[in-house]
This record gives sequence, C-alpha cells and structure tokens, in this order.
Amino acid sequence: MEAAAVDIDRLQRDLEVIFGPRRVSVRHVDLETYARDMWPRLLIAHRDGLPPPKLPYAIVWPEHIREIVAVVKLAREQRIPIVPYGGGSGVCGGAVPLHGGITVDTKRMQQLRAVHSAELICDVEAGMSGERFERELARRGYTFGNFPSSIYCSTVGGWLATRAAGQMSTKYGKVEDRCVGLTVVTGRGEIIETDGPTRALRGPSWTQLVLGSEGTLGVIASARLRLSPAPQLRVYRGFEVDDVATGVAAIRRVMQKGLRPAVVRLYDDLDTLMSSLGHHDEPAAQAVVGPVPPIETGALPAWPGPPPAEPDGVVARLLEFAQGKHLRRDAINTALGNSRLVNRVFGTVAEKLARRGCRMIIGLEGARIRTEVEAALTFHELEAAGARDQGEEPGWAWLRHRYAVSYRMSPMFRDGAFVDTMEVASSWESLMDLHRAVRAAIGRHAVVMAHFSHAYPDGCSIYFTFAGTAPDVASAERVYDQIWRDGLEAATRVGGTISHHHGVGILKAPYMAGEHREAMAIFEAAKTSLDPDGIMNPGKLGLASRGRWS
Amino acid sequence: MTLERELIDAVGAAHVEPLDGGSWRVTPGSAAEVAEVIRRSRAYRAAVHPIGTGARPTRVADPRARVHISTRRLDQVLQLDETSLLVHAQAGLTGLDLERILGPRNLTIGDYPPVVLTSSLGGIIAVRTPGKSSARHGFFEDAVVGVSAVLGDGRTVHTRIAPRRSTGPDLARALCGSEGTIGFITSAVLRIHVRPESRLVAAYTLPSIDAAVSAVYLALREEAAPSGLRIYDAGKAAAHFPGLALPAGQALLCAATAGPTDLATCDRDLITSAVIAEGGATTDQALAELWWRRTHAGEPTPGPQPTLQVMATPSKLRAVYRAVGAQLASSGGMAAAYISRFDADGAVVFFTLEHGGAPADDETVAAAERAAQAAGGWLLGARAHKLDSYLRALRDALDPDHLMNPGTLA
Repeated sequence: MEAAAVDIDRLQRDLEVIFGPRRVSVRHVDLETYARDMWPRLLIAHRDGLPPPKLPYAIVWPEHIREIVAVVKLAREQRIPIVPYGGGSGVCGGAVPLHGGITVDTKRMQQLRAVHSAELICDVEAGMSGERFERELARRGYTFGNFPSSIYCSTVGGWLATRAAGQMSTKYGKVEDRCVGLTVVTGRGEIIETDGPTRALRGPSWTQLVLGSEGTLGVIASARLRLSPAPQLRVYRGFEVDDVATGVAAIRRVMQKGLRPAVVRLYDDLDTLMSSLGHHDEPAAQAVVGPVPPIETGALPAWPGPPPAEPDGVVARLLEFAQGKHLRRDAINTALGNSRLVNRVFGTVAEKLARRGCRMIIGLEGARIRTEVEAALTFHELEAAGARDQGEEPGWAWLRHRYAVSYRMSPMFRDGAFVDTMEVASSWESLMDLHRAVRAAIGRHAVVMAHFSHAYPDGCSIYFTFAGTAPDVASAERVYDQIWRDGLEAATRVGGTISHHHGVGILKAPYMAGEHREAMAIFEAAKTSLDPDGIMNPGKLGLASRGRWS
Repeated sequence: MTLERELIDAVGAAHVEPLDGGSWRVTPGSAAEVAEVIRRSRAYRAAVHPIGTGARPTRVADPRARVHISTRRLDQVLQLDETSLLVHAQAGLTGLDLERILGPRNLTIGDYPPVVLTSSLGGIIAVRTPGKSSARHGFFEDAVVGVSAVLGDGRTVHTRIAPRRSTGPDLARALCGSEGTIGFITSAVLRIHVRPESRLVAAYTLPSIDAAVSAVYLALREEAAPSGLRIYDAGKAAAHFPGLALPAGQALLCAATAGPTDLATCDRDLITSAVIAEGGATTDQALAELWWRRTHAGEPTPGPQPTLQVMATPSKLRAVYRAVGAQLASSGGMAAAYISRFDADGAVVFFTLEHGGAPADDETVAAAERAAQAAGGWLLGARAHKLDSYLRALRDALDPDHLMNPGTLA
C-alpha cells in the first residue's frame, strides 16, 4: 500500500483514540527519524543528504500491551503494515518501514516488573534499554549477562527480536539461550504467552519460533528472562599466539574441556594491531572516563565511548589512516579505493609491527571459587596449546574500552568512507575455511580485518570489520552491496551461517533462501499462522510477499 | 494399484507389515524411503504415524487408512565430526546405541538422565517433556543443532548447522516437540562431549527435604554443574536402600560430578559445603555408587515404580512435595518420593503413592494430582492449550489434509 492511498488524517484520528494526542506523531521530523535504523547502507545516503527511501505514516508510543493489541487490530482492519521499533540500533534495516505503515516504538514500556530470586528469572518489558536493564539487575545482585556494544542504545525487545549476543556470550549464551518465555501481540492482534514458567510443556517451542523473527510474526511486549547472580570475581588476561590457526585451536581446546570463559576474543593480524593501539590508557583518557564502577554494579562504564589516547609515530599514522582521523577526504578515497593493495600492505605492516603474533583476550567471571578453578584450568589449556600469557593489563584494558569501538565509526562516515561489520559463524571444522573465504571475498572490495569471538564447544563466530569508499552514493552503494553479496555467498559456500547475532532485516533477506533452503517452508507456515494478513514488518527476512506488499 | 502395493514398492515387502483395520507398519531404511512412503500415503489420504522405541501402533477412531512408520532401521551414524564434536545420527538410534559407537572414540552424548539412553533419538527429540535435561549440559533440545525431517507433502528439510545463528526463528525447534505433526524426523545433528576425565559421586544425609533442596540450590548458585542429583525422602530411601535406616523426615542426597579432575572435585566440594551449611553430613559413598549404577549402568532398582511425576520450579518444589504428602495422609495413605532431573527450570518429583500397603487407586492419584497442581506443580505430559489455534494454523499450512500424526497435540 502506498502512502497516497492512506488517509493520514483519518489514521491519525484513529490512532489518537488509542494513544491520545501526545503519543502519536505524524510530524515530518519524526517520520524521517524513524525511517531508518543504523544500517550503514542508509547512513551512506543520509550522510550525503538524500532522503530515506520510505517514511512511516505515523509513529506511536504504547505504554501498555492493550494499546499494542488495539493498534495491530486497527492495522489489520485497514491493511496497514506494523513496524516494531526498539532502540533503532539495528544494522540490517530491520526497522525500516519498507512499505510505510505504523511504527510502534516500545520504549515507553520499560519496566523491570519482577525479579523472582528463587527461580532466577525476571519479567521485563520489551522497551527497556539494555543499559538500564543491566543496571537495575546489578542493583539487586543479578545480571542477565547480555552486553552488546549497542547496550547504551538498544532495547531488550530488540535483542530478543534479533537473537542478539553480547560480549560475554561465551559464558551466558545468546539471548535465545536465556529466554524462558515471551508475551507477544501476534499479527492477529491477540496476546500470546509462549512457554514459561517451564519449557517442559508439550508441543513445539513458540518461544524459539518468535525469537529472531524481527517483528514479522508479532510485537514482543515483555519477556521472562533467566538471570545469574552478579559475578563475585572477574579474571582477565591477554595472550598472544603465533597465528590465527593456533589461537583458534587453543580456544577450541578450552571450550571442549567444558570450561566457560565469559570473554574469548582472538584478533587476526590487522585487528590485533588496531585493538592494541586503541587501548592506550593515558591518564588524560581516564580523566574523561571517570572512575570505573566496581564490578558488583555490572561494570557498565558511565561513559561508553572514551576518546582513545593519541598514539604517535608510524603506528599512529597507520591507525589514523585506518580510522580516517585527521585525514583529508581525498586521501581516504585514494587509500580505501585500492583495497587489495591496502589489505596486503596492512597485512605486511601489521605483521612486521606486531611480530608477536595475534592477540587474545580471555575473561572469566562468576562465583568466586568456581571462577578461580576455571580460570586456572583455562589459562593452563591455552598455554598448553601454545598461547603466551601477556598478563592482566591487556584484558583489563579491553574491558575498560570495550564499548568505544562503535563510536569510532562516525568519523569514517563523516570523512566520506563507509564501515560495516559482517558476523558469521560455523562449526570448528569449517571455521578456518570460513575465515579465508569471507576475508578474500570482502578483501576484493574493501579493507578488512577480523576477530573471533562468541565461542561454543561446537564452533565460533567471526566478526569481520570492513571499510571502503566510492566517489558518490550510487557507486558506494554498489560496492557495499557487492561486499555483502560476495561475503555472504562465500560464507554459505563453506557451510557457515550468514548471521551470528546482527539479524537479517533487509540486508540479508535475499540470502535467507540459501541459508534455510526447504526449511523456509516452516517459517512461512509460522508466518501464515501468526500473521495471516502479512501486516507485520513486511518485506523483511526473505519471507514471501503477502497481500499487497511485494 | 493399492496403498499396500505402493508401500511395498517404496520399501520392499519385507518391511511392510499389515495390521488390523486398514493400517500398516512400514520400516523404511533411509530418509529417502521415508519421504517416498509419506508421498505415497498422501496420495491415498492415509494418515502417517511415527513409531520410535516407546510408541506402539495405536487404535484411533479414524476411518482413514493409517501408515505407522517405524524408525527401527534408521540406525546409522551419518557423520561424526570429531573436531566440532557433532554427530549426525538417524532417528532410530537410541542413546545407548550412540554411546556404544562414541565410547571407543572417548566421546559421549553426555550426562543425561537414563530416559535419553533408552529412547530413540527421533522420539526423544519429537516429544518435549521435562526429565531429559541435565544440570551439567542443560536442556536436551539445546544439544540439537539441526534436524532433518520429511514434511507432510513429502518434501525433505535439513535445518542448517551452525553453533548459533541470527537468521529468523530456530526452525529446528519447530520440529522438536512437534510429535510428528509438523514433520517426520529422520535424523538429527547433536552436540557431543569428550568423556570426562573424572567422575565423582557422593552421598549425604540432611535433616529434611527442605534442607536438601536448599543445599542443592545453594550449590547450583555457586555454579556447580553436577552431572546428576537426586534427593530421596526417608520413605523412598528405605525402599531403594534397604540397609539404610534414615529417620523419618530426613533426606538422602546423592550427587555426581564430572569433568576435568579439578573441576569435578570443585563441584563436589561446593555441594559438600552447601550440605554442611544446611546442617547435613556426608554418608556412605557406596550408596551414591549404587544409585549411579542403577541410573546409568542398568542395574535394577527395587521397589514400586513412581505413580505420579510432577515438575516444579525451584520455589515450588517443597510445596509440591508437602501438598502431595498431606493429601495422601489425609486419606490414610502414604507418599514416598525422590526429586531428580534438576535443570534451570526446576526439577521433577517422582511420587510413589500407597494406600494400605497397596498402590493407590485412581481416585487417590487424581486427588494427589490436583493437590500437586494447586501447589504450583506441572504434571508430566501437560499441555498448554491456549496456543492450539496457532498450532492448528501452522499445521494447516504445512499439512492441509491433516495426515501427519492426526489426533496428537490436537
């Protein structure tokens, strides 16, 4: 349905009956704000002043699940799309109103309604910000354990809708591992409660069907999530290994021993160089950060993005070059425009400068006694696998600055380049093939580096960061699309998944058929069941078009 | 051509057995044969029912022809990835079969309760029920990385393998627990483990069931991850361990830990210190060794089988135990119980209900069930009916003629 066919005045009046005048907006500035999330492809156009491809018709801010039911029923009657919206931090276009519609921002539903301490379960509304959620839990002596780099600008509902992961997922799991049950307003305009208080009821798990559905089946209104006691002890260390393969083998060894460090990160040559330079801990930088809260509060820094201290010399110039800092736009264009050369040069320089090999960060946390025992066993396994202990400082430096990296991307966009991240995963057997294949595919078009994080006994995720440039928006979008096409096709070819924790949205929708093959029939059946009219977030996740939206 | 002829064509005469009343038991030898049987049955509008180790062909009041597909010949390991610790196994293999294959390679499916060992893989995945999880490895479904199944239209789906993914819903989880109504599970990829370096068992006595439950949760909060836990009340302890004279009201706790030696020892010590904190003490280790042999090495357990199994969350366990005991006492009967299958959701209380020295009658059991539910427990095999219309619509979309295990989850 096109905007022209919708009577916006009438829609506004209908919405105001449900929400009152103050929680409905059709103002252009709001519509434009809600027309995109943090998908870098849209940021390229936004930087160059181009309007978003499509605006929502209206935005509403429900405060109660009844209001979500009412707006979904209204949308169903009028055949208008519903686009759920959390923090707007998604990087795949999942919240973009591809076919217009009503954007439902859940941020006014932000109560931590209950903490059941005997069950170690909490009941939380979907719109609660990740940061507030963890701080509230920390105050009561618990943690949910999900610390994504977006935690300051994402919501619990957004995490659940995309199957998000945090930096400590190796211990706590991804959000789908921690979800007991959901309260959802389906596309039929009905409230359902999936599972809970036990997962043991017969029948398929509706929780696992709704998790990750990115608003295409319904709006997640609240959730029962599993908690852990706040950690009594944190142990962090840095290690170095000769090469990526040695590091991967070391991590696999730890995981398959049954040990569960919270943080496992292995940086490839270039990422090692970047991460080590970004973690200088000058007194000046610390003054900006302020005192780091004690670990009992969940260790969320009050200031997520401290400016890193200024490094100097050759290394600094290289870093500035990579970060686009202080460089003129034409210099960046020249450099990133010849990405193959840059990848080769960076690889060589990184190797020469680093020499020591690849950096690993290992962190353990939890109950005091068991964490001490697990830490000793973990470090022993790593050393037995050829990793060299670099002491505590690299580990604590990472912990202090772990939220800063996302804030370094803006200067790159400002200076005419684009940056994005591709997070894929596979079993250990295919992991090195996945690394080589995706790195080569992206490296044809952009400067690329990678780190391995989110480890499991059966496999691991690889997080590629790439930076590229092009003379104008159209060609930048073309290069950007080529990177994703080549990268994801390479991932699928070697048996990896196209997304470990960012989700699908619009960006990866064309690759869902290759990802799931015939099993998409089950997703389509779930869509037919929960959203028979196809009004929920149409155009996403590679689902067949329904009704009037194609 | 008749349906029987079609079935014989699909799998061979030796593997088609006519049963009474227009039904057959068919035993395909591959996923391709399963797909063929389902396609041909569909052409005749015959209902398709899966049979694992536990299920038998049932008599259903359904005028349609019925084809019961047994997974007995789906008994192969299709792939073993020792690097990633993944096994792709066909649905007819039992946990024990898998252990026999994995054991010589120093691998194991893990420390799950005995039901996982005796059931077929297809059956254990297809039916969601408590009691198949482990405090050490978590829920059994969490060990399922991928599932291959034949849908009602004969299409075969293989959900893709990845340690975790963020690509829409978990489609394998739609098949887990669907009891053959969404697809016929032909094989699954499971996470497996290296055999633990050490396995330790210990037995403790505690002043009460409450103290035993508290000790268990105290240890679990300290992140102990035992491979097995069981709390006996005095009645059940007397039945299982005739030499043990446990005073009425007291409890026996058996615990097993496993893993690298330091970690197994750490977990055992955490449990011991939790027991001491709750006023308990260690007792004869031979009791724990006997318990472990019975649950994991097939040694027989004396005494009557449990009459009633109730799942309860941690805060409700004690109330459920007390409510059923009080209900039986009020009618002159007696309840003995053990609590086992601890996982993140809670645990299962296994009651043996007696009246005048004989098994309790149906009315007494029904009253005990009501008491357990009123105290916040969930009867095993319970279903939440509130989502039935969604399940029906999901099934309609994949199987419009309702041929896949009709009558189940309906």
